[in-house]
Amino acid sequence: MAADTAVTSSPEETLASLVREAEALKQKLEEERQKLNDVTLSCVAERLEPITISNLKVRRILKGHQAKVLCCDWSPDKRHIVSSSQDGKLIVWDAFTSSKELTISMPSTWVMACAYAPSGNMLAAGGLDNKVTVFPLGGSGEEEPAARKRTVATHTSYMSCCLFPNTDRQMLTGSGDGTCALWDIESGQLLQSFQGHGADVTSIDLAPSEMGDTFVSGGCDRAVLVWDMRSGHAVQAFDAHQSDVNSVRFHPAGDALASGSDDASCRLFDLRADREVARYGRESVIFGANSVEWSVSGRVLFAGYGDYTACAWDALRGSRLALLPGHEHRVAAVRLAPDGTALATASWDATLRIWA
Amino acid sequence: MDMMVSTLQQQRAVTEQLRREAAIKRIPVSVAVTDIVRFISDHEQEDCLLVGFTSQKVNPFREKSSCTVL
Repeated sequence: MAADTAVTSSPEETLASLVREAEALKQKLEEERQKLNDVTLSCVAERLEPITISNLKVRRILKGHQAKVLCCDWSPDKRHIVSSSQDGKLIVWDAFTSSKELTISMPSTWVMACAYAPSGNMLAAGGLDNKVTVFPLGGSGEEEPAARKRTVATHTSYMSCCLFPNTDRQMLTGSGDGTCALWDIESGQLLQSFQGHGADVTSIDLAPSEMGDTFVSGGCDRAVLVWDMRSGHAVQAFDAHQSDVNSVRFHPAGDALASGSDDASCRLFDLRADREVARYGRESVIFGANSVEWSVSGRVLFAGYGDYTACAWDALRGSRLALLPGHEHRVAAVRLAPDGTALATASWDATLRIWA
Repeated sequence: MDMMVSTLQQQRAVTEQLRREAAIKRIPVSVAVTDIVRFISDHEQEDCLLVGFTSQKVNPFREKSSCTVL
């Protein structure tokens, strides 16, 4: 029966013919990409003025977690930050005053992902529990957010990353089960599954366009995949990294994206040129890049490393602009305030730092 | 038999993915990077971490101290 289906769908296709075609396509892809590789970014950038960012300092240290801080996200109000930790807690901070405003206990330790809804009225978090739980904030004063929690998404392995795709009604997740998934928050229903990674998905990011129907994912299969949210298909793949991809982030211009990898490099991929156009690293940087983030203009690429530092790269000239030392353990997450006025770093040293 | 069908299906998915990738339109790197450079130039003045604040008072994370360095 199954064999019948295979035959009817395409009488010509055999395993051998498909393998042959795949090899030919791979070669064609490589040739096409190479043909259009007429100049390097650093060559174009040579004519630009060098930049400096010497004033970036630690302005706040947020202390309160009992173990590794694994993720953080800014509220759209540009003032509050949510962080999640190995200690099983979700904390909402007032970054202006460094005070804790809310602590939520999660059902398991290793809360690897957390996110603020675009309205600022909801939080999402999850991790080793394989789930995303959402917590409505504010509203009727009596009930605690934890009492009004709702489980939205369930994967077959840990949930590594989550985001609200420009709406409070949906949730996009990435998981150790190798898939990404789009969920309806109200019903908890799976709207679309995205299958293509050969190993754990570590990071996702939404394209900055108004349409919001493209997102990118990075995984332990070393691949960066660009997805069409409506069709569920991967439309582009970048497999330049030599080790796990830990973080992916769209450039604010929208047609390029940065990745950070355990191979100690960050890379810039252009979607329209369909290839890597820049690489950020140096010989002294030997630890993995765990998280990447852009400045508002996209001139500066921030990265958090396993060597306890974060640093700022000139995205155009490829040079290192600043080293941000201070954390006493791996820097796990780097996030820019929505108005671009500050950078938050979250670390395995159990603290977050605000740089401005 | 089932195993063969599943291998065939897996390979078909891989090949179909490559067909989609091969079908996309590409532009020269020179054009792509020129657009990135233009976007950055257009937005550099809004980038507080790059150009700083017009006044430190505008910086919500400025040191809350009335002392000044003499």
